[in-house]
Amino acid sequence: MVKEMNKPSLAEDKYAPMLSPWRVKSKIAIIFFIVLFFLFFSSTRTGVDFGTLLSGLSNMGQITDKLLPPNWGIVGPAMERLIETIHMAIIATTFAVLVVIPVSLLAAQNINSNKIVYNITRFIMNILRTIPDIVLAVIFVGLFGIGVFGGIVALFVFSLGILAKLISETIESIDMEPVEAMRASGASTIQAIAFAVVPQVLPQFSSFSLYVFEINVRASVVIGLVGAGGIGNLMMTRFGFNDYNSVFTIIIIIFVVVVLIEYISGKIREAIV
Amino acid sequence: MIEFKDVSLVYPNGTQGLKDVNITIEDGEFVVIVGLSGAGKSTLIRSINRLVSPTSGELIVDNDNILKYRGRKLRKLRTKIGMIFQNYNLVRRSSVFKNVLAGRLGHTGTLRSVFNFFSKDDKALAYESLKRVNIEDKLYSRADELSGGQQQRVSIARVLTQKPKYILADEPVASLDPPTSHQVMKYLKKINQEDGITTIVNLHFIDMAMEYADRIIGMRAGEVVFDGPASEVTEKTFEEIYGRSIRDEDFVGGAEEDQDDSVKGAEEDGEGNE
Repeated sequence: MVKEMNKPSLAEDKYAPMLSPWRVKSKIAIIFFIVLFFLFFSSTRTGVDFGTLLSGLSNMGQITDKLLPPNWGIVGPAMERLIETIHMAIIATTFAVLVVIPVSLLAAQNINSNKIVYNITRFIMNILRTIPDIVLAVIFVGLFGIGVFGGIVALFVFSLGILAKLISETIESIDMEPVEAMRASGASTIQAIAFAVVPQVLPQFSSFSLYVFEINVRASVVIGLVGAGGIGNLMMTRFGFNDYNSVFTIIIIIFVVVVLIEYISGKIREAIV
Repeated sequence: MIEFKDVSLVYPNGTQGLKDVNITIEDGEFVVIVGLSGAGKSTLIRSINRLVSPTSGELIVDNDNILKYRGRKLRKLRTKIGMIFQNYNLVRRSSVFKNVLAGRLGHTGTLRSVFNFFSKDDKALAYESLKRVNIEDKLYSRADELSGGQQQRVSIARVLTQKPKYILADEPVASLDPPTSHQVMKYLKKINQEDGITTIVNLHFIDMAMEYADRIIGMRAGEVVFDGPASEVTEKTFEEIYGRSIRDEDFVGGAEEDQDDSVKGAEEDGEGNE
């Protein structure tokens, strides 16, 4: 057994033909040229080349000149708007987490035996997930006007799509034997879910909810850029006034807070699962 | 009383699960159903609480044909039939106590149970049930911290908490070692005798069936091929039920009087496990 496992040496004739170096090499060469062709084709079509990258980099000096020094005076109002951003994330995540409970049960094949409802739920959730957060923000800011509310609705829809996918898949992977035992003892569907499904998915459910909260904090900065409230909004305004020193301060604040939130939430998730 | 009248079951894929089954099980009996795997033991037992639905015939439980039951009526039927499974079917992440309390679900309103408002009586009953299978000290342990035998005892306690009139046990000892298997069977027998609960157990071990059953029903290919008191059963009967000679793997062993059987079985072995 052990002998067979030993790597055959190249000197052994019977293995040499199997390696067939020319076929492998020519294949790799062809793939290499195809990739090169696409790279060249795309860059000429879009007018992108390395020259642009270099000349762009030389502009770095100009930008840092504009950004520095950071305007620490903006910290007060920025913090206020940042808290607004976090509020948006909290509200949107909370509602998404509540709504996703029935939705993910309907989108789980082992719980929902009604094929039609299952497929419709899946379909709607798949569509939600394909829409980028910033597009959702543009839509809902258009519907509800500039401000926090449109932003919250956009984040809610955005996180519902992600959560429904993650949690319905978690539900589909549970052990169904306890569910069978509950049904056999005369429990109703809701009772069987509460006693046999919930305990099995609760750790992942909490972990995914925190994860989506992290995503929402970041996303709420981005959607602020299109007028959906929060610190993104402030950053956009400052940008409009060419007040780059304030923009830089805001970037620093966002960076620190996002890293902090991700760290804390990551630690909590580690502890749960 | 449970009465099968010409009960047949054909699965959607065309497999014949049950074929013209006619049996009557009186209240308080301890019946063991034997047969090789695939003989229809599971299908028979699961027809009684309608985890599977026979396609023709009548299945009378307490003077009513249960084959037409749906929704609320079906749930009501199931509350009086407790079930024990081969893999215990406990919620592994939940505590032993919560698992046992789940036996009350059929008797408790949905809203009350979802928010964990069980009556004092229910909780007392759950604790008493655990005590009867001597595992009350594991009350707050998580179910997956227990050994297989302990988990099966918890699942017996869950069934006791349900206060059923009938107990169905589907291969309750197939995942357990011989000493634990005997322990579990002894608890089932004790409960049958003390509470007068009609008990129907699926087994494929010959020695266990002969030791614990009052009555043995033999099945092969979906048909009942033997039905009689355990005292009339010999190894010859089993050879007829199984349709082949007896092998070592048909015995669980572990009890003193089975020594000879095990040795005899060992000689015939050589065809490997199923």
